[in-house]
Amino acid sequence: MSRRGGGGRGRGKGKWESYRDDDDSQSGSNSRDGGDEPTAVPKAASENLETKVTYSNTDEFGAKDYRNEMPLKADFTHRPLWVAPDGHIFLESFSPVYKHARDFLIAIAEPVCRPEHIHEYQLTAYSLYAAVSVGLQTNDIIEYLERLSKSALPEGIKQFITMCTLSYGKVKLVLKHNRYFVESRASDVIQKLLKDPVIQKCIVEEKVTEEPQQTTVVEKITFPGQEKDKEGDEKDDAVPDDIGELYGRIEGEEEDDAEAIRSLQLLTFEIKQETIEVVQKRCIELEYPLLAEYDFRNDTLNPNLGIDLKPSTTLRPYQEKSLRKMFGNSRARSGVIVLPCGAGKTLVGVTAATTVNKRCLCLATSNVSVEQWKAQFKLWSTIQEKQIIRFTREARDAVPQGADAKKPCVCISTYSMVAYSGKRTFAAEEAMKFIESQEWGLVLLDEVHTIPAKMFRRVLTIVQAHCKLGLTATLVREDDKITDLNFLIGPKIYEANWMELQKAGHIAKVQCAEVWCPMTAEFYSYYLRAQIARRLLLSVMNPNKFRICQFLIRFHEKRNDKIIVFSDNVFALKKYAIEMNKPFLYGETGQTERMKILQNFQYNPRVNTIFVSKVADTSFDLPEANVLIQISAHGGSRRQEAQRLGRILRAKKHSSDAFNAFFYSLVSQDTVEMGYSRKRQRFLVNQGYAYKVVNKLPGMEKEDLKLGTKESQLQLLQQVLAASDADADEEDVKGEDMDGTVKVSRRESSLSSMAGASSVSYSSRGRGGSSAARDAERHPLFKRFRQK
Amino acid sequence: ILIRMVNVKKGLMVTCDPAMKQLLIHLDETRALGSKFIVKELDDTHIFVDKEIQEVLDNKLDDLMEAMNPENTDK
Repeated sequence: MSRRGGGGRGRGKGKWESYRDDDDSQSGSNSRDGGDEPTAVPKAASENLETKVTYSNTDEFGAKDYRNEMPLKADFTHRPLWVAPDGHIFLESFSPVYKHARDFLIAIAEPVCRPEHIHEYQLTAYSLYAAVSVGLQTNDIIEYLERLSKSALPEGIKQFITMCTLSYGKVKLVLKHNRYFVESRASDVIQKLLKDPVIQKCIVEEKVTEEPQQTTVVEKITFPGQEKDKEGDEKDDAVPDDIGELYGRIEGEEEDDAEAIRSLQLLTFEIKQETIEVVQKRCIELEYPLLAEYDFRNDTLNPNLGIDLKPSTTLRPYQEKSLRKMFGNSRARSGVIVLPCGAGKTLVGVTAATTVNKRCLCLATSNVSVEQWKAQFKLWSTIQEKQIIRFTREARDAVPQGADAKKPCVCISTYSMVAYSGKRTFAAEEAMKFIESQEWGLVLLDEVHTIPAKMFRRVLTIVQAHCKLGLTATLVREDDKITDLNFLIGPKIYEANWMELQKAGHIAKVQCAEVWCPMTAEFYSYYLRAQIARRLLLSVMNPNKFRICQFLIRFHEKRNDKIIVFSDNVFALKKYAIEMNKPFLYGETGQTERMKILQNFQYNPRVNTIFVSKVADTSFDLPEANVLIQISAHGGSRRQEAQRLGRILRAKKHSSDAFNAFFYSLVSQDTVEMGYSRKRQRFLVNQGYAYKVVNKLPGMEKEDLKLGTKESQLQLLQQVLAASDADADEEDVKGEDMDGTVKVSRRESSLSSMAGASSVSYSSRGRGGSSAARDAERHPLFKRFRQK
Repeated sequence: ILIRMVNVKKGLMVTCDPAMKQLLIHLDETRALGSKFIVKELDDTHIFVDKEIQEVLDNKLDDLMEAMNPENTDK
C-alpha cells in the first residue's frame, strides 16, 4: 500500500478515523506484487490553499471574517459566488445563474457540502487537474470565476489556479492508429520533454512532427438522451451578460473546438509502446502529468465490437452529461464518474462500452454483481450472448480459443479474480492468459473506491487497456487513498448532485431517521464493565433495539413495503432473524442460496423482509426494497452508510412528493454507537440529507413484541455474555478470492482497533480463525515462504 | 439514658432513566469520582446521592456526553 497514504498529506488520523479501510491488510494473497512503491504524484498536487492562508480574523465560533479583504462588487446580487481566500467557494443555489455556476464549479472544484440553499465547494490541486483534463484553460477558469464572484477574486486564488493548471493537462498521451503519441500544444513543454534523457530513450523517431492541419474529420458523438433541454433557452434577464456569454463559450468549447485546435499547432512525438510506463512516470516527475486519451475512432488494429444501445434505451440528462465529458473531444478520456447508487451507473458503463465499441473488460466486486452487469448489458445493448464472457469462481464461460480469441468481446470478472496471484486451476489459468493477452479498448471499474490500491495496481499492470472508466457512488474513504485514484485511473470526470436527482425523481426520496433505543438497565450495567468488543455486541443486542426493529418491520410490512435489515455482526444477524423468523444471508451463505433468497425477496409477496450482513453493502441490486433498517454497522464508515442508503435509492414507481423510501439507523443510547452514527452520517448530510432523530415510536406499546419481559431479556443477556469472542466480532468478508472457495475470515482485535480503543488493553490471541486471518497477521517475510 | 446521635447529610435526588442509573452505580462502585457517593437506590429511575458530588458528577457526565458526540471535538 502506498506509503504516502494518509501521513504524507499531513493529516493525522483522528480517533474516529481509525476505521481501517477494507482490505489493505488482508489482501495478503496478492502480496507478492512489487507495486509497493509510492504512487508518483506531481509536486503541485500537494499544494493546499487551506494551510497556506493563515488567517487570524476569526470570531468566537471560528467563523472567518473576510469583509475587509473582499469588497463586494456593485452588482453582487446578480452574482452567485463567494470565493474565500482559503479556496472554499460558496454558491447560492437560488441564484438565477445557479445552473451556470454549478456546472462550472463541478468541473473545477470538489463539492464539500450541498444542502438546500448554499453549496460549499473547495478548490484543490486535484480538482483543478480534473478541470484541465476536461479541456478548461487556466485563463478561462480565472476569468469565469471572477465574473461569477460577488467580490474581486483574491490574488492567492488566482496564483493557486495558475500554479495548479499551468503544467497540468498540457501534455497528452494519445493512442491513435495503434501508435502512442505524446501530444501538446505548448512548444516549450515539448522541447523540455524532448531534452529529457529518460524520455529521449523512449522516443521512436527523433524529429517532432507538426500537424497544424488535422485532416481527420472529427465526428461528433451523440447519445440517445432527452438532453438538449432548455438550459440555453431560458435566458433570464437577471443573468449578467458577461456570465451568460462566457458560459456559452465554456460549454460550447466541448462541442466544436475543432476550430480552436486548428488554429493552434499540435506538436507530437511517438514513443515506444513498451516504455509507456516509464514516460508516464517521468512526466509526472517533470510536473507534466500525461492525460491519457484514446482515439478509438481511429484505432483500426482492434476490431469493433459491433454493438449499440437498443433504440428503446434512453439516457437521463445527467448520464448523458457525464458521458459527454468523457467523450468530450471525440476521444475517450480515462477517469471516474461519480453517481449516487441507484442512479444508473451501470447504464453509463454500458453506454461507454458501446461508444468505444472495442473489447471491453468489466470488473466488479462480487459474483452477484457480475451477473447483474451481464443482465444489464443484455438489457440495454444489442450485445449477443456469445459476446459476453464471464470469468468468476462460479460461472465461467468457455474462454474463446483459436480464431474466436481474436473476436472482440465483453469480459466480466471480479477484481479479486484478476488480481489473484496464487495457484489457479487450469481453466482459470487459460482465462487469465486470455485477459492478459488482449488489448482492451475500455476497462470498466465498478465500485472503484472499494478496491485497495495494491490490488488495484496489480489489476492495472495485468490488463492492457486504452481507456479506464471508474464508476462509484461515494468518492470517500476513511483514509486519504482516494487521491491515488486520480493518478491510477484519471481525474474525476463528473459528480452528480444527489438532491437534484432526488427532486427530478431519478432516485428515491428518502427519509433518513436515527432511532434512539434506550439501553435496558441490565445490558447497560454489563456494558459499562465490558471490553470494547463485547460492548458493541451488547449495544446491538439491546432488547429495546430488538423491539423497535420488530415494530418497524411490522409497521412497514403492513404497508406492503420491502424491507432490508443490515447487521455487520453475524451473531446479532442470526439472532434477530431466527427470532423473527425471517430469511438471512451473510458471507458463508452459498451462492445458490443467496440467489434463492434474493429472488424470493424480489418476487415472492410473502417474503417482505430479509436480514443481510455487509456482503450486501454494494452491488446487490434490489430494486424492490424501499425500507432499510440498520442495526449494526462498521464503525464510523461514511462510505458504508452511503452505500447502504444506495440499496433503496433506485427510483420508485409511485413517485410523489412524499417520501417513498425510509432509512432507519437504530442506535443504542449512551453507547459508542452514538458517536459512530454521527460520523457515519457526515457524508450523506453533506449531500443534503437530513436525519430525523426519533426517540419515541408512537403505537409501540400496543404491539405485542418479543423480549417484553424481564426474564426473556435476562435470558438474552446470558446468551450474549456466553457468546464467544468470535461471535462478538463483526463478520469480515473477503469476497471470492480465487477459483476455489469463498474465503470468510474473521480478524481478531479488529473491533477494538476500529473503535479507537488501541489504548485500551484489549488483546486477543489467534483463535483458529481461518488460515487467511492468521496469514494476514504473519510477518510479510514468512508469508512469502508459505506461498511457495 | 442513651442519646442517639443523628447523622444529617445533605442529599440530592436524581431522576434518570434506568440505563443512566446503571452508569451512576458503575461510577460509584469503581470510585471513578474519587469516592462513593450513592446514599440510597430508591427505584429504577430514582437515586439519592451525596450533595457534595454534584459538581464533579456534572462535569463527568458532560465529558462522557462529549466523548459520545465527536462532532464537536474533531472535524
